Amino acid sequence: MNGHGDYQAPAEIKKYQSIALGAGGIAFIAWAIGTYFNVEQGLRSWLLGFIFWSGLGLGSIGVLMLQYLTGGAWGVVIRRIVEAASRTLPLIFVVFLPILFGLTYLYEWTHLPADDYAMVHRGWFMTTESWILRSVVYFIFFAAMVYPLNKWSAAQDASKDHEEAARWLGRATAFSGPTMVIYVLVVTFATVDWVMMLEPHWFSTIWGFLFVAGWALAIFSFSVALLALLSDKAPMNRVLDKRHFHDLGKLMLAFTMVWTYFNFSQFLIIWSGNIPEETGYYIFRFDGGWQWIAGGLLLFHFAFPFLILLQQDFKRKAKLLASMAGFILVMRLVDMYFLIGPTPRIETHGKGLPLLESFSWMDIVAPIAVGGFWMAFFFYQYAKRPIMPIMDPFLQRAIDHGKGH
Amino acid sequence: MQKKLYGLMAEFDTATDLVDAANRVREAGYTKTDAFSPFPLHEIDEALGIKRSILPLLVFFGGLGGLLLGIGMQVFVHYIDYPLNVGGRPFLSWPAFVPASYELTILLAGFTAVFGMLFLNGLPRPYHPVFNVPRFALASREKFFLLVEAADAKYDYEETKAFLGELKPQEVFDVEE
Repeated sequence: MNGHGDYQAPAEIKKYQSIALGAGGIAFIAWAIGTYFNVEQGLRSWLLGFIFWSGLGLGSIGVLMLQYLTGGAWGVVIRRIVEAASRTLPLIFVVFLPILFGLTYLYEWTHLPADDYAMVHRGWFMTTESWILRSVVYFIFFAAMVYPLNKWSAAQDASKDHEEAARWLGRATAFSGPTMVIYVLVVTFATVDWVMMLEPHWFSTIWGFLFVAGWALAIFSFSVALLALLSDKAPMNRVLDKRHFHDLGKLMLAFTMVWTYFNFSQFLIIWSGNIPEETGYYIFRFDGGWQWIAGGLLLFHFAFPFLILLQQDFKRKAKLLASMAGFILVMRLVDMYFLIGPTPRIETHGKGLPLLESFSWMDIVAPIAVGGFWMAFFFYQYAKRPIMPIMDPFLQRAIDHGKGH
Repeated sequence: MQKKLYGLMAEFDTATDLVDAANRVREAGYTKTDAFSPFPLHEIDEALGIKRSILPLLVFFGGLGGLLLGIGMQVFVHYIDYPLNVGGRPFLSWPAFVPASYELTILLAGFTAVFGMLFLNGLPRPYHPVFNVPRFALASREKFFLLVEAADAKYDYEETKAFLGELKPQEVFDVEE
């Protein structure tokens, strides 16, 4: 049996935490100065940072429930990472506050005339009060998922024997099944409110799934990068082996394909239907410089990672896989920029801008600011608990799994 | 030696003995060898020096062929052979070609995987000389067997039999053709 002391996070975590906090603080000051001079651009950039980093935090709730439902060694290995990421929810809410208070400086629909057809037909849904209320409700839903899952996991660590530990595992698994359905619904509503509403006259019913798949891909990439960083330090050097990375690499490959599948589904249906109120989204994004981002996503968010991750040897080498994971995370940010950047602006009275006019230095600074704070808080949460589920009935099997072929 | 021999086979009691013996046999320079066990032994591939299968590469090119076939077929039909105006869309409507091309990629990759696997491992095979050894039936229950084929360049009946005898087997059998 393993004691708590065996699986404490390595001391380097503290160092990473201060680096993240320092970078985040400097970037935040730069962002705050920039926002003072241009509130709308500042908030748009902040939303980009928020939606990318909250993707890691909120996406980890889904992956946490997914690994309870499917089981498997990969889930045991990354469970503490996704748990720590899910516990960043309070910070995600704080990061959300500028958007909540700056609502009317960010979303063009808050300036639409009352007789605009989107405002008439959607009625109460398109009021700032209901938008704020809904956003708070989403966070309550997320908290209601994060809190019990983390509580039961801590109770499992404190279990006297493996029978008691197995009961906590069973409870988390039973909770995850139905909650997974609610989770996808909440994510759909939340991302429609937070991102799709930037484009008030356009709609897509697969929108929530774009985020569910993209967030899962980001979480797997993030976990691989962190595990590769920890794999040659105690205690993870006793745990991780090439087969763990192989399995996580397969999941990265799968979710790269799922992301492509959902995005292409959306595009194919809109392209086939050819209805003016839907096609505007893509017509604008295939012009004005945005077409380079669109093509770049197809090449570097799909084709390149797909072809590289197909190879078995690549997935078994931790450092190589981690470099691909970092690359995918950067492409996730570009993908988010492709959704947010071209949307209508208030200062141009509802027109989007071409890529070069739209791009601002704050689009780089704000994600670094949010990311620095998020990473620092993540590392703080990660170091608080043993970095493997020490009493899990499947722990030893999960460790042995890595050494097989 | 009246009958023509397919090879020599040693029987072992445990998986560890088999893997140790397989290592010795490989180090001695034998290449046409095989091992039989009631359950999968991951170490045996390395012990016998079995190379990675080329099947994944075949599957990749099978899939690529399916993709090109799918695109080519639709371009030929809709652009070259019988251009048809569908709702004013261009003849070369690549988004509409993707689903069928994708399906053909999967189909041909799947076919290549199944039939390539059968081609490479030689299945189905109704007759194999190893079954001429009556005790070989135990390979699917509790015993482990190591085979050295007579076709091996280093094979010599007396020498190989003596060598296998040194590996502490339960027994060494002559496998008749």
